[in-house]
Amino acid sequence: MLALLLALAVQAAPGPCDLPPPASHPDPTTAEIYRAVGDGELAAGSRDTAAAAYRRALALDPSNGAARAGLASSCRGPARASDPFQEGLRLMESGDRRGAVAAFRAARTARPSPSAALLEGICLYELGDDAAALPPLREAERDPAHREAASFFLGLVALRAGQGERAASLFEFASADVRFAAAGADLARLARREGRLMLSLLAESGYDSNVLLLPSGRQASGRPGDASAATTMAALARPLGASGPYARAAFSYRDQARLDAYDLLGGSGAVGWLAERAGNHLLAEYAYEYTGLGGIPYLSAHRLFAGGRAALGRIAVGLTWFGRFESFRQASDVPFSGFRQVAEGDAALRIAPRSSIALFYRYGRDDAQEAALSWQEHGPRAEARIGLGADVRLVAEVGYHWRRYPGVDPFLGVARSDTYLDGALRGEMDLGDRWTLRLSLVAQRAWSNVPNLAYVMVFPTFGIAYTIGFL
Amino acid sequence: MKPALIALLALGAGVTPGADEHVLAGARLFRADRYAEALVEFRVAQRLGSPEAAGYAAAALVKLERPEEAVESFAALEPVPPARRDALLDYYHAVACNNARLYLCADGLLGGLGARAGPRIGEHARKMRAAIEALLVSEPSQDALDWYLARCSQFRRAGRALLARAYCEEAAGLASRRHDGYRRSEAMASLASLQRETVVPSAGR
Repeated sequence: MLALLLALAVQAAPGPCDLPPPASHPDPTTAEIYRAVGDGELAAGSRDTAAAAYRRALALDPSNGAARAGLASSCRGPARASDPFQEGLRLMESGDRRGAVAAFRAARTARPSPSAALLEGICLYELGDDAAALPPLREAERDPAHREAASFFLGLVALRAGQGERAASLFEFASADVRFAAAGADLARLARREGRLMLSLLAESGYDSNVLLLPSGRQASGRPGDASAATTMAALARPLGASGPYARAAFSYRDQARLDAYDLLGGSGAVGWLAERAGNHLLAEYAYEYTGLGGIPYLSAHRLFAGGRAALGRIAVGLTWFGRFESFRQASDVPFSGFRQVAEGDAALRIAPRSSIALFYRYGRDDAQEAALSWQEHGPRAEARIGLGADVRLVAEVGYHWRRYPGVDPFLGVARSDTYLDGALRGEMDLGDRWTLRLSLVAQRAWSNVPNLAYVMVFPTFGIAYTIGFL
Repeated sequence: MKPALIALLALGAGVTPGADEHVLAGARLFRADRYAEALVEFRVAQRLGSPEAAGYAAAALVKLERPEEAVESFAALEPVPPARRDALLDYYHAVACNNARLYLCADGLLGGLGARAGPRIGEHARKMRAAIEALLVSEPSQDALDWYLARCSQFRRAGRALLARAYCEEAAGLASRRHDGYRRSEAMASLASLQRETVVPSAGR
């Protein structure tokens, strides 16, 4: 994207400063004219153009000392740095956004420059200073040559502020330019689902091959599989946009076709704060979660979550932690109550604009009321996110983790030791601005030193989601 | 500009012997978006006596984000009757004025394009005029007029009378849009004296 923007804004590449190869037909007379043009450009303060003229002069007459001196003068470091626009470009390409902002401001002070305004706005957006980015972007927007590019970035600013409708409108305008058509259309669709208030509804059905998690040898007699239908409603409020405080709530219900004791009712509410700047973010959240199973209360939990993510170019690293104070509601399950926590770190590499691969490693522990039910686990996970065209996304992941129970289980007579292999393949296809088709296949294989606790589960689902943003 | 240069390349006509190869080389570089090198070729062609090269050099200056020099170069071109004017050069002249904050200058040039501009340039011109209209919808501030007159004075002192005149003309036009005509008479007086200083050399459009 940076290359595209620089190509849009910089309509003249700086001339190289190396001595040119001699022309096949030397022409000292014309070389003198080029030299004089170079002198005029140098006097006007345009060192790139002067360098181009001197190089032509030297190609036609390598012995032209005045042209050689002129080229050296026009290519001298401090002198070139005196052009703040070129300096801004150099700093922007080297990743020094703050330095580039200062240089582009200097360029705009010297004379009106929509290109400098556009690039200054982009740098400020990338630094996360959206309020400061707006004036230069609006200035660039007034120039026909930069209107679409400026609209595109104004759309990104609006999107980050949670102004979905405005962002969508700006992206649509930008997509009229073929250079922004693909990204603009994608973002316009995304923006229509964004807003300071977002609502979503998901309806799905699936078949869980092993609801009861029975070992393979007992599945034939136990009929552990069952079909289900589920619905989830969720709301998210972000009064200040993507960065700032938020509150969310969700309600879900899953109805098993046959195994009614496993009908699941869930509700949750959360408040949190997301601080996002220049692709990096910190997040803290408190949530309350309630789960009912088979029509009776099952679990009540308070959950704390904290996370952070830092991006550097195509690479991003993240770290998350959550701790859940679990209180099981039925007497038989009370010994499982306790404090469960999981920390996970990851490194992700963006391999294409909409595709990435990531490696995770997690550590978790559950300190249950009954020591024998407590456990610790750890293991790696790999994930690939692939964008197929504008409307289809695929996520594939595979994970493996070891879980150890330090205490001897009084009923089993051993200290449990389990391992798990997890795999998932999820696909999403946008059917319109707000409708999404979802397909997923989740599978888990568990091994245990207690044979009755080993199992295989496969759970394909099919669903459709509707998401809308307001405000 | 590009269609005009393509036509020039195709016809290979209307250029001065000795300068033609530089105009054509500049046109090729312009088409390749290598504007600094294109400007050099047009400048060389100018020095060799090509009457067309000055307008093309001015267009290259627009592309090089040097709007004030472009305005100056366009102003130096020999006046041409409206029917014979190159719409693309007029468009580039308007862009130069717009980028130099000479909005009335830009608006006047865009308004004169009419049907001479093709659909693509016509669309750009329409959008630019809409933006200018939005800018000029309110009465110009005194600060704005002070700024234009200061630019006029500054360029005049620097010996750039054509550019000074452009800023004084803008100041006079903007002052006319104020209810009190703030500093309009001053702008008109400067214009009158600048009129005598500016000499338009022989150059073609």
